[in-house]
Amino acid sequence: MIQFFNVSKLYPGGQTALADVSFEIPRGQFVFLTGPSGAGKTTLLKLIFREEVPSEGQIVVNGRNVSSIPRRKIPYLRRTLGIVFQDFRLIPRKTVFENVTYLPRILGRDGKTQKRMAYQALRRVGLAHRLNAFPLELSGGEQQRVALARALINEPEILIADEPTGNLDPELSAEILRLFLEINLRGTTLLIATHDRETIRRVGRRVLTLDAGRLTGDEELEGTDPPAVHAARPLFEDEDGLDSGDRGDETAAGADDPGADPGVAVAAGGEPP
Amino acid sequence: MTLRRALVYFLREAAVSLVRSWKVSLLAVLTIAVSLLIGGAFLLLAANLSAVVERWREEARVVLYLEPDSLTAERAALAREIAAAPWVTAVEEVGPDEAAERFRTAFPSLADLVDGGDHPLPPSVAIAFDPAAAGSARFEAWLADLGERPEVDLVDDDRDWLRRLGALVTLVRGLGLALSAVLLAAAVFTISAVIRLTAYLYQEEIAVMRLVGATEFYIRGPFYAEGVLQGLIGGLAAVGGLWLAWTATARRSAGTLLGAVLAPEFLGWRTVVLLVLLGAGAGLTGAVLSLRRERLGAA
Repeated sequence: MIQFFNVSKLYPGGQTALADVSFEIPRGQFVFLTGPSGAGKTTLLKLIFREEVPSEGQIVVNGRNVSSIPRRKIPYLRRTLGIVFQDFRLIPRKTVFENVTYLPRILGRDGKTQKRMAYQALRRVGLAHRLNAFPLELSGGEQQRVALARALINEPEILIADEPTGNLDPELSAEILRLFLEINLRGTTLLIATHDRETIRRVGRRVLTLDAGRLTGDEELEGTDPPAVHAARPLFEDEDGLDSGDRGDETAAGADDPGADPGVAVAAGGEPP
Repeated sequence: MTLRRALVYFLREAAVSLVRSWKVSLLAVLTIAVSLLIGGAFLLLAANLSAVVERWREEARVVLYLEPDSLTAERAALAREIAAAPWVTAVEEVGPDEAAERFRTAFPSLADLVDGGDHPLPPSVAIAFDPAAAGSARFEAWLADLGERPEVDLVDDDRDWLRRLGALVTLVRGLGLALSAVLLAAAVFTISAVIRLTAYLYQEEIAVMRLVGATEFYIRGPFYAEGVLQGLIGGLAAVGGLWLAWTATARRSAGTLLGAVLAPEFLGWRTVVLLVLLGAGAGLTGAVLSLRRERLGAA
């Protein structure tokens, strides 16, 4: 799914961002990427979605060698990825719906399809009722959930997040992490960059550690307090299938996912389906 | 995304941007409009002068002024000989007395200049000819031969001053086009700056679009459409302004020589379409130039 082969990245001026980094992330895995500020986490993520080009080495994402992919094909690579940032990157003058539906619009989907996709994506993050709100009317956690809905709208194979909880308080961070875990349980590969060791310790999973551009650790951690998440249903859902927007309990699986196992909550430490 | 849907999207986004940044957009539209208005005004002036010159060219005559002591019989023989030429459509022989009478009629206040004394105005033969034949080598040689005849004192060819007037019209048209080109270049520069500013205003959104997988075509399309829209609006404003100015001029100068010469007709529809398209082209050029080296929305 994601493979790095002896990847190095030197910025102009000779600053080394990454040095001889190799690893492989199989399909469906949940991986934390950690390390101190300046360790090269963001550069590594940028290499995956080809915002940066490696100085040496090869990177394969979804079977594509992104090191040598032509510039005109980069958009098609990115459509298979979901990307979330610490600063949300929402457009303040656009509504939640407009912020979420960039990709369907780019893909030329008609208005009805856009609405359906936006509703489904927002429902997964518990914000279907805020379609017409503007980002500045939302809390930080809600804004990050909108950004997550934007990343999820095309059912990406890989979700990449750069310090997604960096701007959030602990409670909202936990909420976002629960969403990530739920998304992972549905089969999406996740790579989350964070320097928050406490979160990693609590959630567990595979952890890649960078230090001064070098991969210094690759370990599986058992979470000390993994959040309980539901395998198949969106969080925060009302009984009638429409969201209230309030943070609710993890509820029973809905009829829109016949493959789901109703009522079964899965601990975050469990294996993805 | 289909091309039709993409174009609709580009135009909608461009229209939103025009409204959102209406002040700078207005500046761009006005520079296009002014440059095309000036260019169009010169074209209109040149077209009308050209039409007048062409009309006068068709009515052009050559007048042979004869020696004052030439005999009536000699003049009549010359006129008959001239009338026999295939390109001649009419010959009019004017004697000294009739010439004096015509002068008195045309310039009554100067009548005393030709009153009394011997015939002060020479006899003449006016020749009208087929404009299509004029200019041919045979015609010019024939005319040169006539000028060499002993009884002919002077040859006055209307085409000489019409040629000078034609050169003036060409000069007017050339000046107009040159001035318009300079102004249009300034307009392209303005549009380029406006589009770059718009791209700057939208850089956050462009960065998001790029991250979710928008192609260069999709990202740049609205900016190109905005340039084209600015140019089209500028072109239409120029044509509209020109028409209003022409209408006012035509109304004020109706029945005068100025009106007859300068404002008999507005620009043809082809020229109007050309002006509007020129505006659109200038807008597109400005947009392309402004984004040529820009890496829009790069993180």
